[in-house]
Parts: sequence; C-alpha cells; structure tokens
Amino acid sequence: MNKLLRNAMLTAGLLSCIAPATAADINFCMWGTITGPDALVNGMAYGPRDYMEFLNQTKGGIAGNKVKLLLLDGRYKLDEELKNYRRCVDQEQAVVINGWSTGSVKALRDQITQDQVPFMTQSYSSEVLDPVKLPYIFMAGPTYEQQMIIALRDAANAGGKTVIIMHGDNEYGRGPTTVVRQSGVIEKLGLTLVDTVEFPYDAQDITAQMLRVKSKNPDLVYVQSSTPQLIVALRDAAKVGLPATKFVGNAYNISPAIPAQLGAAAEGFRAIQIYSDYGSDIPAMKDINAFKANNKIEKEDVYYMKGWMEGVAISKAIEVAIAKNGGKVPDDIKAFRKSVRDEMENLKDVDAGGITPPLSFASHQGSTQARLAVIKDGKYVPLGDWINAQ
Amino acid sequence: MTRSSLVPIILAILAIAVSLMLGRYGAYLTHVVAIAAIGAMSLNLLNGWCGQINFAQAALLGVGAYTAGNCGNAGWDVFSLLAAGIASALAAVLIGLPALRLRGLYFAIATLAAQFIFEYLFKFAEPITHGVSGLLIQPMKLLGRVIDTDQGYAVLAICLLLLTWLFMTWIRRTDLGRAFLVVRENEVVARGMGINVPQTKMWAFLISGFFAGIAGGLMGFTDRLAHPEAFGMGLSVDYIAMIIVGGLGSLPGSLLGAAFVSLLPEAIQRFGEAFNMADQLSAFREMAFGLLIILFLIFEPRGLSAILGKTNVQRMMARFARRPTNPVRDQAKNQPKWRSVE
Repeated sequence: MNKLLRNAMLTAGLLSCIAPATAADINFCMWGTITGPDALVNGMAYGPRDYMEFLNQTKGGIAGNKVKLLLLDGRYKLDEELKNYRRCVDQEQAVVINGWSTGSVKALRDQITQDQVPFMTQSYSSEVLDPVKLPYIFMAGPTYEQQMIIALRDAANAGGKTVIIMHGDNEYGRGPTTVVRQSGVIEKLGLTLVDTVEFPYDAQDITAQMLRVKSKNPDLVYVQSSTPQLIVALRDAAKVGLPATKFVGNAYNISPAIPAQLGAAAEGFRAIQIYSDYGSDIPAMKDINAFKANNKIEKEDVYYMKGWMEGVAISKAIEVAIAKNGGKVPDDIKAFRKSVRDEMENLKDVDAGGITPPLSFASHQGSTQARLAVIKDGKYVPLGDWINAQ
Repeated sequence: MTRSSLVPIILAILAIAVSLMLGRYGAYLTHVVAIAAIGAMSLNLLNGWCGQINFAQAALLGVGAYTAGNCGNAGWDVFSLLAAGIASALAAVLIGLPALRLRGLYFAIATLAAQFIFEYLFKFAEPITHGVSGLLIQPMKLLGRVIDTDQGYAVLAICLLLLTWLFMTWIRRTDLGRAFLVVRENEVVARGMGINVPQTKMWAFLISGFFAGIAGGLMGFTDRLAHPEAFGMGLSVDYIAMIIVGGLGSLPGSLLGAAFVSLLPEAIQRFGEAFNMADQLSAFREMAFGLLIILFLIFEPRGLSAILGKTNVQRMMARFARRPTNPVRDQAKNQPKWRSVE
C-alpha cells in the first residue's frame, strides 16, 4: 500500500511537470465545465471542439493545417480555470483560447491583454466586453443586460405595466440586474419595477419568494438564473398558483431539462434564444449531422449550437490570418495571435449556417440579436424574428 | 545558522531554480503549492499542534486576500501582505474566542458557524469586498517593483514558505510550542503544569491566523481577484485534507499534503489525457480526492510524512540535519551496545 502511494506521488509529480506540447500547426485550447454546477450547459464546450475536429476530418484542418485540440475541465472553480489558462497560453501555445466563467474572465482580463492572446468567453457579462480596454476578449452574443432589455421591450410592446426581476445572490444574478435598474431603461420603456426578489443561488425551495411575487401580481417576472434554479422557480411558482406564462428567462434557460422535469408547469414559459436549437431546419445541421455520422456528440442542445458557431467564427479568423501570411501558419506565436485577433475583429457577415444571423465581431459580440422562444407542448418554439438588442 | 535550517534553505533555492526552469505553467503550479503549504502549516499549528479544530481556514484566507487586495490597490507595497497577516490574525482571535468555553466537536461547530458568517460578510460588506462581483486586485508591488509574472510570484511564495517553515520550526522548540502540545494532549494536565491554557490557545489562533492571512494575501495577488465563492467551505475542507493526508502535526507533512492535494487533479487530468479518457476521469477527480482521504485515514493515519519517513530520503536528510533534540534518544544511541561487567 505504502509503495503504491509513493509511486502514485512520484507519478503525480512527474506528470505535473510534463514538457510543453509538441509542435503542431494550430493549437486550439479550451476549457468548460465538464463536471461542476453548470455542467448542464456544457454543450458549448464540446461545440467548438467538434467543429474544429469536423474541419480536421473533412478539410484537413484550417487552410490545410491540422488543428490540435485540447478541452480541459474548469469545474466552475476559479483556481482550476486560472490554471487551465496558464496551461493553454504557456504549455499548449494556443493561438486562440475558449474560456468559461465570468469570474475567471474577470480575473484574467488584464493578463489576457498582457499575453495578447485572442480569448472567446462563454460569459455574457458586460464587464468583460470592452473592445478598447480589452481588445483580445470576444463574446458570442448579447450581454445579460441586453437579453433582459429584449424581454422588457417585449413586455412593454404587449401592453405590460409592472415587472419583477428575480435573481440569485451571486454576481451572475445581481450584476446585470443592477446595471439594468440603474440604466433607467425600465422606466423609459414605460414599465414599473415593482420589486426585485433575490434568492440563494443554490436554493432548493423558494416558495416564500414566490408568495411575495404573487402578492405584487406583476405582468412579467424576469428570472436571471441558470437552468437548475429556474426549474426550482417555476416549480414553486406553480405551487403558489403563478402561471409559467408570466416568467421569462435568459439564454441559459433554453434547456430541454425544463419541460422534461416540469411538464405542464413549464408550458408558456419564455426564454431568450440567441442560437437556433439543435435539430432546427438550418444549413449548419447538415454539417453537424455529417459529423455525427462518424463521431459521438456529447450534448445535442442549443448550447452545443453556440459552441459550434464559435468554432465557425474562430476558424474563419484563423483562416484569414493564414491567408494573409501567404498561406502559411506564422512561426511566431505572438504574431499569429495578434493577427488572429485582428482578423476576428474584422469578421463581417460571417455565415453561421443559420445558428444566428450573420456574425460580425467589430463590437466583439458576434451577434447582438436574439428572439423569444416559448415552451409549447414540451418544446421551445421561436416567437417572431430576431430582434436587435442594441 | 543551524544545520537543520540549512536543509530547507538549500531546498528552497533548488525549488526556485526549478520553478524558473519549468516556465510559466510550472512556476504557476509551484506558487500554488507554496501558498497552499503556508496555509496548511498555519492550520497544522492550530489543529495538529494545539488540537483546536478549525473549519474556518477559508474565511481566514479570504480575510487575507481582501485585506491584501485593498491595501495593494491603495499602494501599500509589501506592507499589504503584512496587513493581510495582521487582519487575519485578529479575525482568527475572534474565531478562537469560543475556544475559551468550548472544546472538541462543539468548538469545531463554532468555527463552522464563523466560516459561514465570514462568507456572508464577503458577499455583503460591499465597500470592502465589492460583494458578489469580487474585488479586482492589481499586481503586487515589492519595494516599488511590480510582480506580474508567475515566476515572480513563485520566487516570492517560496521565500515566504521558507520563512514560515523556519518560524514554525523555531516556535515548535520554544516553551510556547511545547505548551501547544500539552494543551492538545490534556488541558487539565496543562493547567496543572502552570500553563495558561486560554492564553496559549489565543497565541495559537493569532499565529495561525497571521500565516493564513499571508497565504490568503498571496492568493489574492496571484488570482488578481478576491471572490466570495473562492473562499467557501470547500476550501476549508481542502486544507483539512492537506494536513490529514500530509500527516497531522508534521511540518513536512503540511508541505507534502499541500503538494498532493494541489497537484492530484492535475495528475489525474494528465493521466486521462495520456490514455485518451480525460473527460471520463474529470468526474473521477472529486471522487478520487475523497477516496484517498478515506484510504489514508484507514491505512496510514499519520499521512504522507510517515510514508516518507520510511524511505531513505528522510533518513538521509535526518543524518544531515541531525539535531540533539532528544537527549534520551541520543544518550541511548551513544551507549555501547554491550558493556563488560567488571
């Protein structure tokens, strides 16, 4: 036993000091939450990996150069994500990094600028979106605040007067709520914010909060939370007699788990949809199905589509950067990264295969359009056309 | 300088050289382990030596991180780390106050409550902590020079780890250090021996808190963000695991435990990558962590330090750094194996 433990220790030590990755044409490194509290949406970690692998299998990579892929598990833990970032930048010599949580991107934002490495974040936080101060950070859709405004605008157009915002007691919940409240946009839309209800992010029962919401009888309840919390919210809303039709969630509330777990109690719930759902009748599905014929797709959901779309945008920027370097991958990784960043920013009207309207990254957001989707007969059905959040 | 202090100094110099050679990622892992080792040693003093179970280690680290962050952002230079140590020491004394009336499991529960109170404060004391969005921290300044590389932090963390080690070795040999052990073994006996038990406990909390604050401050500077979720109960459990896996009461054990707990996820990740099963092993990482703690408690409760004690490495080190701390043992050793009867 002791010998075994000693050997395990030695192995751990040696493995941790493994030499940097061997040279490859293009290194693409990413981390997601393979395991962790928000693993339910980790399709967006597999999406970019699969798209790059699709390019490797069908086109020999990007502009004929194989893409070396590494997907790490950030476990939604700050220290783990910071470690992954160092590995991607230093050991893997990644030309582009795809990272995960808002917290980690905030912690890393100065280092990303210092390292001059293009970084696609899965976060929608406006705090990490600043093309001038943070020129290397890119985002794949409207910010949480913009998503909230789309929902509020829709409520105002439908003749609504009163609104309640519910959110978890963490940054993801409080941050966007505070920004929207302070911006005065609610009042400008002719709405009245009758209450803001906070609940513990990991709460298993929020019946008391729902009774408070019910007493105010709002026309719209916007919930800024992830899928697990939303399931609790809608379950307890049904318990106190509040219909799901009053509730609207953000882009992370488009999840098959919601109708699957709640059944009739989820009917009429609306959420912000930025990306077309998996299985939609769009051109991108043709590629995805072709990939699926020979490979396993871990998550077949809307978040996977987001990841696939990110893969499309990143590969396009790399392709242009290589083309501008005479069709060769630049030898100097710093120059390659800088060039990819510039081309990322120059991307205009990139065809995302219908996952989103054409992408442009001049504002570092890719797409600022979204639409509302409603749960009808256990499925999300888009309501109307794409709306520009700006 | 004694020979016993020479060994850690040489090892520290070697560690610095190796961390600089490993590149940025290696340097990052080095400072993560070194910072964790400082925190583990501080907990070891309190828990392993003085017998006071503390579930609020993460809270103390958090106090250190927020203090260092605020002071560092205000341009306090190297004093920001000192301030972090002092703030955490004071917080530790507050946490330790119930120890004057409570013992054992009851006191452990009190520290658990303290952990949750501090977590709440990190979220709601917005002017100091910036609430749930966390406090963004500028790179640390050391005598006017900005440290913004992982290599820089690795060197700093190793130096501070060395100082912590030397201090802990020294205090262990003082009357206060011996008093810690007596209090741990039996408070009634300690009182009978004339030891001021409440004062001894408070010293343990004060010293432990100070070093936890230093570790927390370093964490803040290296992470560049002090966030309430980073100092939750899970982190306290990690530190308890470090001192159990390393060996309760053992200084080298704290270092080994910190390295083991910090590097185990990385080792599992690399192992998974080598065999193309990283995704599957990701889920196993948390499980492996719990499983190893159980295995250690069953098969080697004295931890990694005891395992290392059976190897030639420690025997070699002990031969080099032998010190006459145990006169009875040394006297017995110097005795001839047999004496002729006159």
